[in-house]
Amino acid sequence: MKARLMRSEDLAMLVNAIRRRGYEVVAPFCNKGRDTYYDTVTDENIGRVRLHVPNPYYPPKRFVLPPIEGLLRVKRANGTYDLQATYEAPKRAIFGIRSCDVAGIYHLDRFYLGREFPDTYYARRRRELLLVNVVCTNAELDISDACFCVCTDTGPAARDHFDLQLMDLGAGELLAVAGTLAGEALFEEPLFTKAAQEHVERRRQILSEVRKRFKTTTCWFSATVRYVSQGSVPEKTWEEIGNRCLECGGCTYVCPACTCFTVSDRPAGRDEIERVRIWDSCALGGFTRMAGGHNPRKSVHDRRNRRFFRKLAHYFIQRELSMACVGCGRCAAVCHGDVGMPSVVEMIRRAAALEEKIEPVPADGR
Amino acid sequence: MDANGKITVAAEGRGVLPETVPGPAENVYLPKLAVLVRVQDEIAEVKTFYWHFVDEAEQGKFRAFRPGQFAQVSLFGVGEFPASLPPSPTEDELFFTVRNVGSCTAALHALKPGEVFGVRGPYGNGFPMEQYHGRNLVFVAGGIGLIPLRSCIVYAMAHRERYGRLQVFYGARTPSDLMYVRDLKAWEESAGLECHVTVDRPADGWKGNVGVVGSLLKKPGINVAVANSTAFVCGPPVMFRFAIKDLLQLGFAERDIVSTLERYMKCGVGKCGHCCIGVAYVCVDGPVFTYEQIKKLGEDI
Repeated sequence: MKARLMRSEDLAMLVNAIRRRGYEVVAPFCNKGRDTYYDTVTDENIGRVRLHVPNPYYPPKRFVLPPIEGLLRVKRANGTYDLQATYEAPKRAIFGIRSCDVAGIYHLDRFYLGREFPDTYYARRRRELLLVNVVCTNAELDISDACFCVCTDTGPAARDHFDLQLMDLGAGELLAVAGTLAGEALFEEPLFTKAAQEHVERRRQILSEVRKRFKTTTCWFSATVRYVSQGSVPEKTWEEIGNRCLECGGCTYVCPACTCFTVSDRPAGRDEIERVRIWDSCALGGFTRMAGGHNPRKSVHDRRNRRFFRKLAHYFIQRELSMACVGCGRCAAVCHGDVGMPSVVEMIRRAAALEEKIEPVPADGR
Repeated sequence: MDANGKITVAAEGRGVLPETVPGPAENVYLPKLAVLVRVQDEIAEVKTFYWHFVDEAEQGKFRAFRPGQFAQVSLFGVGEFPASLPPSPTEDELFFTVRNVGSCTAALHALKPGEVFGVRGPYGNGFPMEQYHGRNLVFVAGGIGLIPLRSCIVYAMAHRERYGRLQVFYGARTPSDLMYVRDLKAWEESAGLECHVTVDRPADGWKGNVGVVGSLLKKPGINVAVANSTAFVCGPPVMFRFAIKDLLQLGFAERDIVSTLERYMKCGVGKCGHCCIGVAYVCVDGPVFTYEQIKKLGEDI
């Protein structure tokens, strides 16, 4: 991958260069405290675009999979129907997407574009999307207490699946790495200068330093993948997890790698309806309820089990060649019952530790 | 993503062969318009809806479905639901047999001949009928569980020379809950197939068997083909559990018992996530599973 150098004070110029190329640029903006949100960059707010900001709660997933997305318009006329697929695929760049969210979008790519039925709505949006990744290097601003990308191996610096990656080398310098030809095309801008081996070395040093600044390392993550895949997590542990779940669905809505949706028909004017898909959540009781009332997944802990099984089971990791948990820590931050991913890993670790069956041998040696 | 910025996705599981997503991919969510031809009453709340596609070309494409597959039926303004395909691909007409149980099925029940709705599919794996060549087929159905199995039975009858003995064991609560009475009568009279029908509660004038469907399997005089046989089981959960137990007792191997599962579904193409059971998406990995597979899904059905 090719790398160039740019000055951090030229950040706005880079954003404008992308805008001039016809992209709607969305970037994270600061509200109060750690509250941040993605918004479209305009001439008015461009001065507030920052390199280091806490990662917004609301993931950039919505730029490829909107919370409510129109699929069809159906018009009734002369006893029959006219069906029109409704596509919306703006040329858009996400500026400042974090490495965990890059992995999240990659997971969605694998899920929505892989296997036998590629999703054309997703493909159209995805094809027009440019990802400018920013590496989390500022321990105060970029990294939160809940971040655990070092455990899922998705951060703090994405290795691929971005178009351009920016990393703060300090001293007013940024190292830009192109991941695709679309990213490389940006190097035509006069903002970029040559990078030397010394800069690549500095990048490596900073990264090894930053990895130590994560508070949640959850080193039992991979062991949990094994326990969940083997089905060796005790039912009682799932019950404990289920007891703490408030069934709000928050974890699924803030998850950059959750994919489920429901489909609904709604009126859209006279003799016309619109078929839309809406984010859905396996945490909710009605998720598997069939017409007539039969619900194969009735209890809360069955549903919690389901969510973590879907994310961690080896079968699904192999099926998509990507894991449905990217270590962003949003579920941990949003959950009122504290059963986000890091807590669940810890609960499973504790259950596994209690499973130990060591019997001291009596003195007579039997 | 490759060097040209195109999104590439490796074929599932193999991970070596990258497969570029072509131009604007076909829209899998777009239903095709269909016309309701006529409606046939079956039992209380259950009707059979004969239909055809508005577009002849679609009709031709769809008719290549396999027994055990399903379709997504659209009632515009109400929604979409998955429905099994009871006809055999060897038959001329397409139809659904549907119980009036929710808002979408109620909307279908309210439809009049000549009115238009939407269908997309066929979806799912279906029964691998070609794998069963030379084998005996034993069908065990309860109530409206006969709907998906009808396709296999008619298909096997149409290709009679490919299969060994064909046996149908069918049970319903009362005589008036028996599905497809026209077919049952024909099957009972047919020389190519042994058809045994039972009811839990007989009504006046019922001269046939009484008892659950499992009792038929053990009834003196009935000789269930076990060696070199595949058993198809479909019915309500309680019947399913007992029928499996009976078949295992008779000596059927777990991999020789097949069934078709049903779940709440929104997309039918492995995306919406509602139909997942353990490791399987019922819509793309199923709905047909062997009992051996069902036991390994990792979640109770």
